[in-house]
Amino acid sequence: MAQRRLSVAILVVCLTVLVSAVGQAAATKLTYRIWDVNQQPAMKQIVTEFNKVHPEIEVEIEVTPYRQYWTSLETAAAGKNLPDLFWLNAPNFLLYSTNGMVLPLDKRIAKDKYDMHGYPNSMLDLYSYKGILYGMPKDFDTIGLWYNKELFDSAKVPYPTNNWTWDDLIQAAIKLTDAKKGVWGIAAQLDDQSGFYNTIWQAGGYVISDDRKTSGFADPRTIEGLRFWTDLIHKYKASPTQAQMTDTSPIALFEAGRVAMLSDGAWNAIRFAENDYTKKRVDVVSLPKGKQRGVTIHGLANVIAANTKHPEEAWTFLKFLGSPRAHEIQAATGTVIPAWSEYQHLWVKAHPAFNVQIFIDQVKDSFPYPVSLYTNRWAQLSFDELTRAWAGEVSIEEAAKTLARKMNELLAQE
Amino acid sequence: MRSASDSVPGFRKVLRSRKYQGWLWGYILILPTVLGLGLFYLWPLVQSFYLAFTRWGAFGDYRWCGLQNFERLVSDPKIVDALRNSLVFTGLTVPLSISLATLIAVLLNAKIRGVSFYRVLYFLPVVTMPAAVGIVWRWLFNADYGAINYVLQKVFAIRGPSWLTDPKIALYSLVAVAVWGAIGNNMIIILSGLQNIPTVYYEAADIDGAGVLTKFFRITLPMLSPTLFFVSVTAIIGALQMFELVYMMIGINSPAIRATQTVVYLFYREAFINMNKGYASAIILVLFVIILGLTFIQLRLQRRWVHYD
Amino acid sequence: MTKASASLRRARWGKLAIHVLLSLGALVTILPFVWMVLTSFQTLAESTRIPPVFFPSSLNLKNYRQVFYSLPFATFYWNTFVSTVAKVAGQVLVSAMAAYAFARIEFPGRNFIFVCCLAILMVPQQAYIIPRYMLMLDFKWLNTLTALIVPGIASSFGVFLLRQFFLSLPGELGEAATIDGCNHFQVFHKVYLPLAKPGLIALSIFVTLWSWNDLMWPLVVNSSTGKMPLSVGLATLQGQHGTNFPVLMAGAVLTVWPMILLSLILQKHFVEGIALTGTKA
Repeated sequence: MAQRRLSVAILVVCLTVLVSAVGQAAATKLTYRIWDVNQQPAMKQIVTEFNKVHPEIEVEIEVTPYRQYWTSLETAAAGKNLPDLFWLNAPNFLLYSTNGMVLPLDKRIAKDKYDMHGYPNSMLDLYSYKGILYGMPKDFDTIGLWYNKELFDSAKVPYPTNNWTWDDLIQAAIKLTDAKKGVWGIAAQLDDQSGFYNTIWQAGGYVISDDRKTSGFADPRTIEGLRFWTDLIHKYKASPTQAQMTDTSPIALFEAGRVAMLSDGAWNAIRFAENDYTKKRVDVVSLPKGKQRGVTIHGLANVIAANTKHPEEAWTFLKFLGSPRAHEIQAATGTVIPAWSEYQHLWVKAHPAFNVQIFIDQVKDSFPYPVSLYTNRWAQLSFDELTRAWAGEVSIEEAAKTLARKMNELLAQE
Repeated sequence: MRSASDSVPGFRKVLRSRKYQGWLWGYILILPTVLGLGLFYLWPLVQSFYLAFTRWGAFGDYRWCGLQNFERLVSDPKIVDALRNSLVFTGLTVPLSISLATLIAVLLNAKIRGVSFYRVLYFLPVVTMPAAVGIVWRWLFNADYGAINYVLQKVFAIRGPSWLTDPKIALYSLVAVAVWGAIGNNMIIILSGLQNIPTVYYEAADIDGAGVLTKFFRITLPMLSPTLFFVSVTAIIGALQMFELVYMMIGINSPAIRATQTVVYLFYREAFINMNKGYASAIILVLFVIILGLTFIQLRLQRRWVHYD
Repeated sequence: MTKASASLRRARWGKLAIHVLLSLGALVTILPFVWMVLTSFQTLAESTRIPPVFFPSSLNLKNYRQVFYSLPFATFYWNTFVSTVAKVAGQVLVSAMAAYAFARIEFPGRNFIFVCCLAILMVPQQAYIIPRYMLMLDFKWLNTLTALIVPGIASSFGVFLLRQFFLSLPGELGEAATIDGCNHFQVFHKVYLPLAKPGLIALSIFVTLWSWNDLMWPLVVNSSTGKMPLSVGLATLQGQHGTNFPVLMAGAVLTVWPMILLSLILQKHFVEGIALTGTKA
């Protein structure tokens, strides 16, 4: 009898030890959600290197295409089911931080004496609310004037320089437009970050007031910035029409050699470098000067969900995501400009064919991406209203003033 | 000893009785369906009705707001546009696709060779997912590089319009695509209906010396009317719910979006892009009422033109 | 010329005219597919050339490779296949059971419950989407294949269609089986179900097509690329590649060929199935 009890006891002890050992060996699984499939290889490389140091933390990368990203994220947040880590951008930062959806990082950074010296203050400010940091800066981007050297050559127009003015661009665009060949000087794309925000800054205007309560779209300087594009379409006829740019997107037109210039972001460097047509034919310069220089700067951050079941492991992975090595990987693969300033030159090195240094040089002339609590509402509204001016249905003044009025109504509700 | 089964229907006898066994089996067999329909149809229907009176904030936070959504609905120009678009779209697509389908079915019903060959070809759009149909036709309709405008230019020397980006004609382009996609399905049903018409009628008509058109209008159409009725009811309901074509062919920032967005597209936009699920539920409620109304009208009119044996 | 040969002549011209008309229609029906395939082999530059290039310079598979590089299309095939098969099996089984009961078994409340089932057919599908979405959230079924499958198993239409079928079969068979000692389920399973095969096939085809084509529900409920079916995958491809039509056409080809192949092989069943749903209703 005693023997039986002893053997049972030994069995129980063994089982307990076994189970706890298995439990410890069993990896913690984290989900990390991103939206850009072009960046997936770099992210995978980061995870692989992370696992060399921390094999017990598994990280599953989930790609949700941008179009569905915020919708699915918001639902997940509502169901307290957010992925453990995910990308956050400026337009959505206030929404997530003020609603307590993401973990504050200050205390952890202080406790682990985590090295933050490589991050520019502007990046840290972008992802701080009431002085507390919520996001680990990941990358940043600015906008440049991409151009097609071959089209400039055939039209015998000298290449753009970093000292161009609005007028230089307009004149060149007119000369480059050849209706018979179906080629235009520039695609006046209806885009905020890549398009009209920049010309608004360059004209001395603004999109939203500093206290985030009033719209800047009714300001005459802002309207000048918008008019730059509508004139290119309707007055100078140097751009495809809005209808044409809806049928075939500006970037597709650029990659097919149908437009000679395109104002677009640094993130396209890797795309143009891999595209057979563009890799040998395009280059990039700084945006032209209006009354002043102006470029939109934006960057992403990695954040930890507040409802994560593994805050410690998530923080461990976040520390790696924010480490110089992770930024080095992002840069060396040419994927994005890392937020860590010491490795930005590696990104430049990864694109020898293009003069991408200008993206970093323009940081000194940059303005932060305009945001408010519910940025997406008035951002979509701006497209709804401005598309009518782009299409020539109404004047740009009318569209901008209507937009300002409606945007103020939305801001009042925040 | 008297056994339990000798007494007035005992429990075991009840169980073994055919009738009660029937009851048991009946309930068991319908259980999965009733459960499924209750959970995924009935309950959602009730909740959908309720949500039409709610207002949604960030992160799924919603609260009762009374008739606010309906007040907004009545004065929202986008709703008026969407209703008009849906009704015009339906009003054009359904008659066109049914009459063309009938024409083709009649032709196929004639004693010719290669019926199954044609049938396969006409059937292709039916097995193509609407998402793919949208993408392919978006390419065909491309104003600068698409095949349609190229043919117009080369063969007819006409400069083709902006099929999908001109607000004045984009909706009609969508109608063309919808008709193209719907003919095959309707054609097969109508053809089957045709084949069920007893030939005696035609033989009698031939003896009386009736011509082709007379035979068509006096025999074919009336005998076909129940099938046509079914096809038109389903086609109307389907056309009123059109979403994929707008979603795939017209971008949200297209100049033609106001002229093409249908009620269901607006529903999707409000529910999943603008995150106003309450307002979206109100929109769907309106659509429901419209479908109900139209179907009811059709059922009434049925007595006038549908001929049952 | 005799009267007979004259009318024969007329008949032949008539048949020719019919063939011409039908061929024209068939051409219009089929040209988009041809164009889709041709474009899928072109480069972006070729596709935006004026005048357009009809035949690509080479059968280059670059666009197809780009599709698979951009999105896990192989996973999309799997997701679509699994969810469709599960839905068909589920719906046919569940609907057959209920349809039989409504048609051939007497039980209290039968007609009332059946009418309730029918009433559901009147409601536009989209009315269910938001509440079902909330259910998926509560059950934690978002971004799963379960979310694609389970809501689609119970079906009023399936019950309605198969009930018509069972009603049209003679009742004597059931009576004979009962006399032989079968219970209700055995009568269903051994006698009537095999006879309902045409209806079951028709429903299967109907559900297959509907599941294959469905866009809004999977779009709403499965946003992660690992769980999307083909329809959402194609829409996502468009979201990523904008107007790069050669790549989009390659994607379209990839979503189209399985159903075309299936409908060619099972042509007879497809046609009969669709015809049946029309005539029985």
